[in-house]
Amino acid sequence: MNFKHPFLSKPRLVIYYLLFWIATGIATVLLKWYSFNVEPGTAAVEFFALPFLFAIVGTSIWYVIKFSTLENNSVPRVILSHFIAATIIVLVWLYIGVVFIKLLHPESSVYIDNRIPINIFMGYAFYVIYVLFFYAVNYYEGFKEKLRNEGKLKGLVKEAELHALKSQINPHFLFNSLNSISSLTMADPVKAQEMVINLSNLMRYSLKHDQVEKVPFREELKNNKLYMQIEKVRFGKKLNPVFEVDEACLDVEIPNMILQPLYENAIKYGVYEATEPIDIVTRCKMKDNMLEVVIQNNYDPEALSKRGEGIGLRNIRDRLQIIYNNPLLMKVEDNKTDFKVTLAIPQKN
Amino acid sequence: MQEKLKTIIVEDEELARNLLKSFLKDVENIEVVAECENGFEGVKMINELKPDLVFLDIQMPKITGFEMLELLDHKPHIIFATAYDQYAIKAFEYNAADYLLKPYSRERLKEAIGKVAERIENEGSVSDVAEKVSEYPKGEYLDRIVVKDRHKINIIPASDVRYIESMDDYVMIYTQNGRHMKQQTMKYFESALDPQNFIRIHRSYIVKVDEINEIQQYEKESYIVILHDKTKLKVSKSGYKNLKDILNF
Repeated sequence: MNFKHPFLSKPRLVIYYLLFWIATGIATVLLKWYSFNVEPGTAAVEFFALPFLFAIVGTSIWYVIKFSTLENNSVPRVILSHFIAATIIVLVWLYIGVVFIKLLHPESSVYIDNRIPINIFMGYAFYVIYVLFFYAVNYYEGFKEKLRNEGKLKGLVKEAELHALKSQINPHFLFNSLNSISSLTMADPVKAQEMVINLSNLMRYSLKHDQVEKVPFREELKNNKLYMQIEKVRFGKKLNPVFEVDEACLDVEIPNMILQPLYENAIKYGVYEATEPIDIVTRCKMKDNMLEVVIQNNYDPEALSKRGEGIGLRNIRDRLQIIYNNPLLMKVEDNKTDFKVTLAIPQKN
Repeated sequence: MQEKLKTIIVEDEELARNLLKSFLKDVENIEVVAECENGFEGVKMINELKPDLVFLDIQMPKITGFEMLELLDHKPHIIFATAYDQYAIKAFEYNAADYLLKPYSRERLKEAIGKVAERIENEGSVSDVAEKVSEYPKGEYLDRIVVKDRHKINIIPASDVRYIESMDDYVMIYTQNGRHMKQQTMKYFESALDPQNFIRIHRSYIVKVDEINEIQQYEKESYIVILHDKTKLKVSKSGYKNLKDILNF
């Protein structure tokens, strides 16, 4: 959360704020001068010592509302903390104000004696106005932040979809799959037909998921099994997909297209480079109200392929960060013989 | 009737091999003598069986089709069969007879075999494959070098190379773990290795920048490079200029 004071992040606000208070001050001084015949100098001191001083002390109320937000605390707690903060701020304000009055005001003792109770009341009233004002600012900023994140997320979802489509029309996948079909039409027409249907379903899934942010895990899993089935036809015994999925996982929600890059990497860096069978193991279970998905594959440590955090992994990390506001939901482990990615997808209660 | 062409298929996917075999069954002048699942097997079988024709995939486990070609003692005619179109130019630089894009038709395959038959009629002998490749495509650099020492194939990451010395028709590649001989030209390595990391310091030497410990003048206008392990290498005039350009002194 952003604790930075809006006056610090937006200096322009400070200027408006000061202008407002100076205008109020001038109006007050003129009013007192004309109506009550108070000396302008004395009226200015009175205004500076009390209302204007609150304008300065009151800016600290921002931190009070940030520490006792309505979202994370119970109402009595919020009220209590505001009451304590208000009392402290009013006391500090009045104390400094009285010191100024005593130093600068020609009839200080008369002025103070008459005004203490009303100023205590004024202090609390000011406090309430400030709290409402800062809550409004805070709410507005949160709202803007949310809009920004939504835009970013839309971009990332688009990127993931594009990535999925691109990897399906990538020549290694598409043309080699079509070549397998070409081969099967002669040797095993039934299997060829099955492969054409699988390929169509896979592509249809990637094409239709426009703008839907989350899908049931069941669907996402089905789609990726389809992808593995197609690759299995090509690679035969070299590819060994294993799924260990708890029944409880199937109906929870998961951001769409978030798993495919992981399977793609497992095939690209595992199966493409290997001469021995590669196990791609998927384990899913519910853990502390989170869906835990582990995708692990062994690979040939001698295969010299460059491997960084590619666009696929980065996209997953960014999306999890934005949707769940937690950068630690994806864990990548590589022990030089096995590559393992663990995702934790939080679920609503 | 003409003699049958001894043919080997090098292809990692079984279905693709089956398809090619069943197409070839109907071609009378072809006899498939072996099938290989990867480049390592390919090298072994081609050197052993000395086929006339090889069908070769490019993207395979371990080593690519191109890397496999560099390791052959026997040079057969090559027909590439791949899903990618972007290697076509490189394939013809390797003097490929044809380049089939998967999935291909029976007719297209026959056409390719026709081209091989034509070549055999015209030339009588197979031209040397690797020699044609003297320059590496611009903009990308070699990230590994494949070498064969006796019967073992080694894949050396380009970053492990310390320096390369020319030896007539061969080059000797020195790494941390030893040295490897390869039939290739210095010119090829000069263009294939990243010039920010490897400098041609002499007609006979390309050296990795990180290996250089000292550049010493040992006669007037004559320099030597001393590596971290005390190896001394001669520097030519143009080599000295290359060193200056890269190291900025």
